Amino acid sequence: MNAPNHNLLVGSLTALALLLGDRLGAGGKELTDQATELLEHYCFDCHDAATKKGEFNLEGALAKEHFDGSLMFENLLTGKMPPANKKQPDREEKQALLEWLVRKQEVAVPNSFRRVSRHEFVHSVNDLLGTNLDLADRIPEDRGTKDFDSDRRIQLSREMLSSYFSVADEMLEHAFPTRGGPSEGKWVTSKVKDSHQTYEIYLRPYEEGILFSWTRANNGNSYSFFYDNFDPPVPGWYDLTFDAAKVGEFDEDVSVLVFGGKYYFADDRPQPQRLLEVISLGNRELKSHTIRAFLRPGENVSVHCQVKHNFRQKNVVEGAYIKQLTARGPVFDQWPPTSYQSAFEGLPVNAAKREPIQNSGFQTKLDRIGGNLTVSSFQEGMEKERMQDGSNRTFWHTRFKPTVAKPPHYVIVENPRGAEIEGLSFATWSGGNGNGLVKAFEIYFSDDGESWGARVMEGGLETKRTFEQPIVFPQRTRSRFIKFLVTDAVSLDGKSIASIGKLDVLTALAAQVETARISVDAKTPKDLKRVVRRFAQRAFSSEITEEELRSYLRVGLTRLEEEGDFVEAAKVAFKAIMCSHRFLLAPGEHANPSYARAAELARMLWLSIPDDELLALAKSDQLKGAVLREQIARMIADPRSRRMIRSFSDQWLNLRSFNKVTPSLKLYPLYDDLLNHYLPIETRSYLHHLVQENLSAGHLIDANFSFLNQRLAQHYGIDGVFGQELRRVSFPPASPRGGLLTMGSVLKVTTDGFETSPILRGAWISKNIVGTPLSPPPESVPALEPEHGHAATLKEQIAQHKTNKTCYACHKSIDPYGFALENFDAVGEWRERYKIKQPHRSTFQYRPGGYFKLGGSVDASGEIDERAFKDIFGLKKVLLANERKIAYSFAKKFFEYANGYQPTLQERLHLWNFLGRNPENGRLQDLITEVILNSMSKANK
Amino acid sequence: MSEHSRREFLKFGAALPLALQSLDVRAAMAKETEAQPKRVIFICNSLSFYKPNFFPAKRGDLGTSPYLKELAVREKMTVFQNLFHPGMETSNHDSEKSFLTGAPSPEAANFVNSLSLDQLLARKMGGSTRFPFLSFSIYDRGWGCSWNDRGVAIPPMHDERQIFDKLFGEEDLTAKRRQIENDQQVVRSLYRDMAQLKKRGGDRAKLDSYRKVVAELEAQLKHEEFWLKARKPEVLDTLSTDQEFAFSTKIKNLFELSKLAFQTDSTRVITVSLDWTYGAVSVPGATGGWHTFSHHGGRADPLAKLTRIETEIVRRLNQFLSELDEITEGSGSLLDHTTVVIGSNFGDASNHTCHNLPTIVAGGGYRHQGHTVLEKSTPLCNLYLELLHRHNVDAGSFGSSTKEMGLLKG
Repeated sequence: MNAPNHNLLVGSLTALALLLGDRLGAGGKELTDQATELLEHYCFDCHDAATKKGEFNLEGALAKEHFDGSLMFENLLTGKMPPANKKQPDREEKQALLEWLVRKQEVAVPNSFRRVSRHEFVHSVNDLLGTNLDLADRIPEDRGTKDFDSDRRIQLSREMLSSYFSVADEMLEHAFPTRGGPSEGKWVTSKVKDSHQTYEIYLRPYEEGILFSWTRANNGNSYSFFYDNFDPPVPGWYDLTFDAAKVGEFDEDVSVLVFGGKYYFADDRPQPQRLLEVISLGNRELKSHTIRAFLRPGENVSVHCQVKHNFRQKNVVEGAYIKQLTARGPVFDQWPPTSYQSAFEGLPVNAAKREPIQNSGFQTKLDRIGGNLTVSSFQEGMEKERMQDGSNRTFWHTRFKPTVAKPPHYVIVENPRGAEIEGLSFATWSGGNGNGLVKAFEIYFSDDGESWGARVMEGGLETKRTFEQPIVFPQRTRSRFIKFLVTDAVSLDGKSIASIGKLDVLTALAAQVETARISVDAKTPKDLKRVVRRFAQRAFSSEITEEELRSYLRVGLTRLEEEGDFVEAAKVAFKAIMCSHRFLLAPGEHANPSYARAAELARMLWLSIPDDELLALAKSDQLKGAVLREQIARMIADPRSRRMIRSFSDQWLNLRSFNKVTPSLKLYPLYDDLLNHYLPIETRSYLHHLVQENLSAGHLIDANFSFLNQRLAQHYGIDGVFGQELRRVSFPPASPRGGLLTMGSVLKVTTDGFETSPILRGAWISKNIVGTPLSPPPESVPALEPEHGHAATLKEQIAQHKTNKTCYACHKSIDPYGFALENFDAVGEWRERYKIKQPHRSTFQYRPGGYFKLGGSVDASGEIDERAFKDIFGLKKVLLANERKIAYSFAKKFFEYANGYQPTLQERLHLWNFLGRNPENGRLQDLITEVILNSMSKANK
Repeated sequence: MSEHSRREFLKFGAALPLALQSLDVRAAMAKETEAQPKRVIFICNSLSFYKPNFFPAKRGDLGTSPYLKELAVREKMTVFQNLFHPGMETSNHDSEKSFLTGAPSPEAANFVNSLSLDQLLARKMGGSTRFPFLSFSIYDRGWGCSWNDRGVAIPPMHDERQIFDKLFGEEDLTAKRRQIENDQQVVRSLYRDMAQLKKRGGDRAKLDSYRKVVAELEAQLKHEEFWLKARKPEVLDTLSTDQEFAFSTKIKNLFELSKLAFQTDSTRVITVSLDWTYGAVSVPGATGGWHTFSHHGGRADPLAKLTRIETEIVRRLNQFLSELDEITEGSGSLLDHTTVVIGSNFGDASNHTCHNLPTIVAGGGYRHQGHTVLEKSTPLCNLYLELLHRHNVDAGSFGSSTKEMGLLKG
């Protein structure tokens, strides 16, 4: 278009202005006239329909019926536009334009309500019940592609409600167990379950227990050893005490990663495990280390030792010596549990005494059904008991000295009590040269041990697999005698022999756990009403009327009439409260504005319900002014605010995707579970500190300290940090670290785990830190993902963005940020040159040196907003030059997190002006407080 | 289970309730002679297929497509060329949301999705099975192909072990019954609560939205209560645990579960979202970010690796289709009674464009055409509309459909 009919366009703009005059409210017409004049004066030189610099035709955009002025607003507000070398509007003119854009914004009214997120639900219910269960994983992720859980566009679905029902049940059952509290067991064990032979070099008998060293298997996986003889009988909290010491002459601590999960034999098919805790051993003296963990039946406890000095070296006496594991539980915080005190306040709670149970150590299932084995023959030292000791290193063997026993070779399983048996569990002997390993078998049943029926089944066994192989009978049996007849076995010398590592029965054992009943001394509907009312008032953060209470109470009363059990009646009423719209869709209905504020505050800062102090203040409607400010400060100081830090940083910085990226073992062979565990913790600890200490927003960009431990310090090349507890560590001046951008967590989550992409990283900074909104790439433009192995340098590849005007309009504000981070690889380690992945021969074998060669040098220079920088040090300076913008961007993100929608232009203007009033206002706790106060005053209107 | 009922059960699969007295026995028995039920499955390959490897080089000859020539059931499939979703010519990955809905402009800030095709089909086809529909995905991200009538995502299941247990695991029926009764009491209480609030004038929009969800839950409980009468089918656990190529194993298992679910008539409608993350995946011959490779920009190396990943997906698909075809059902095979739709929200993931969406319809007993090239860009929803009609759903239109075009023959 080269014939701009400027006057015509302005004319139509004026006509629109007339139309808009009314909509913009009092003085709207005058404001529009002024704005039109200013636009023409300051903007249209470049951004009219003819020039459309940066592919931005403001004139055309304004002429459209719907105009999204947010980009223009942001650029004007933060001084990006008009550019520094053009004529600038004065303060009043700028204010007028901003005001015009604020008024012009077509506020897409979001839902007036939002639903609680799964994390808020679980925290709230925990605080209501006095439990501490982490069940958020039971509820589907419902954030979709939105940035924040709180987003008001996300709606409740049937699947969500259905999972709230079942999670509520599970939490109620845990808080008020129908059958009472299980007895407390105690287990002492120093034996680990069988693992693949190749891992045996990582553990050896040592003094009275076991010495573990670093177990990184051939495929690179980290294997953990499972403790035997402790199977949690019921879900609950268990105290796990490890008597352990560091072994080795070096300064670093040895770490023991303690996991909970289903036992697996080798790491070619690992089951998911949960890291329960890391124990850091810095002392050569034996000490007790106790951790508390929630375990479920079917889970076992496993340990993985990490020490950097003895990786895959054989017979090194270095590592973690664990004398024994003592498990105790389920444990309750007190007896009867606090959940009863808090829910049934004022009513007598009776709890039977819990008798502790001693566990007798290892027991086979055969033992537990009162059975035993007989064998056709045995060699001295290789008796039948060796099949029943829980180890496939020891074994039963048919007699070979002084004479070789003649076949048939068999084992008879006696089942004197007639237990229902599903089959046998067989494990081959895992040592030796293979001689005698059973290859095929047949099964027979008998009622008297003499007359045997027809063959029940036959089958083959894997001799190379040393884990337990189930032999499932065609149907279950209560036969008194079961014969396992060896029909074929490995014979290296032609003689007929047989050996078995482990043999046990497969049978369902009823978990026989004694429980101690807990009851509440109350029967009357009046008592129930008091209990349900109290619970509802806490849950809803409001006083409630008889009418409001009625439906919840009724479901409880019906249960009380039908079954007579007071606690069960209360439970069903509690569930109705927890699944109600009032609980799940915020805001609920509140008796006064202070109650509403209490609920909002608790939701934003604790992801939960208000505590008694807030409710007391709300009752007399005092939650405003100075009291409100004091309460915000108190709540931030409270440990529950760590939930906010975690939730906010997970979403804002996208750390929720942190574990979706698995770094390449070839390029980053030293990346491990320990580092993976601590990287996000560093970020949370740092942000927690910034907020608690009310430090300036500039700390998001740079600081001379962070919170590190031994593993993180190693990663960042900082010497002299020993032990895995995080502490404040100062960076030497030459270190590029400090601030969020150079944290391993952020650097990892912005890659695919192999190569870094300046585009992805640039977009991350642009969106999350600088606060520039991104739009999708235009049509028919090949999107680029650079490769480091490519002949052209990375810069050259991305330079295509520069040569294409359409790309450059946006990418000039994206890619350069990413360039500055090119000195950090995909796990966040410093690099001067790129690594280029090399192929391996045949099967991949893990090696600490990795598989790569060094490629081209990194060029981390770039230019942003016409300011050039050489590397990350330079970029930090460029960003810090406009600290107000960083603070403003943070405030906007927190606003969105807290409220579930992006601040309107009006609200943005408010935040920007708040920051301008006083440079001191850019402190993070102050900003959070201001955002909350601003949201509340709005809610009041 | 008594011997008698076990025999019945084996004969009729999952559909026969145990407590026969509560149902019309003859009606249940009549199932045996009923025509084979129709099933449908939609598979969305979220990063598309590289076009030159997917579409036949020679018009009409599937043997000239490097990917499709590997499929054993080529006689029972049609590849459509030139389908698209209007309003989605170019898109970021949000276009995935509209794969089965056809809702335009998925990246718009105020985008609200609409009912997905599978859900509309499930209303018609879902009533007579234990699960009215099933929805799977590779990753735990809370959304896949299925969307309800308010445009809210139906979270897919992604853990194959949990899916297996849900479909075939043993249940404590007494406990389950008690659970359902408890839930139903709570639901009644929630209705009473809404009624009293309405009288006092609560937030209407909020109540309306909540009431719909509660009503859906109530219907679900009723459905579950009915199915308490029938034991779940017993099947052998054939899930793979291979960890070396976990991505491929996951796809294999989701297809295996789909096959088992159809075979036991546990459901008749399934969606499978082959979704993506930035993280690396490993397939024979390539390890790296699927997404990274998808932005190959025509360069040889990433394209070679992308091809390895896509070949692996096609291999799993081939296995799935062949296995469906090997299961005899009535006079045909399970595949003949199952419409398998394989497609993508992207035409070209490297360019993030949505023209010419790769689309296959396999099975379903149609007279297949092999390769159908449409002369003009045609809304994918026209095909969807036809699928609705083919499954006896009386709909005038669906999504952006313009008309029924008779794309499927026979």
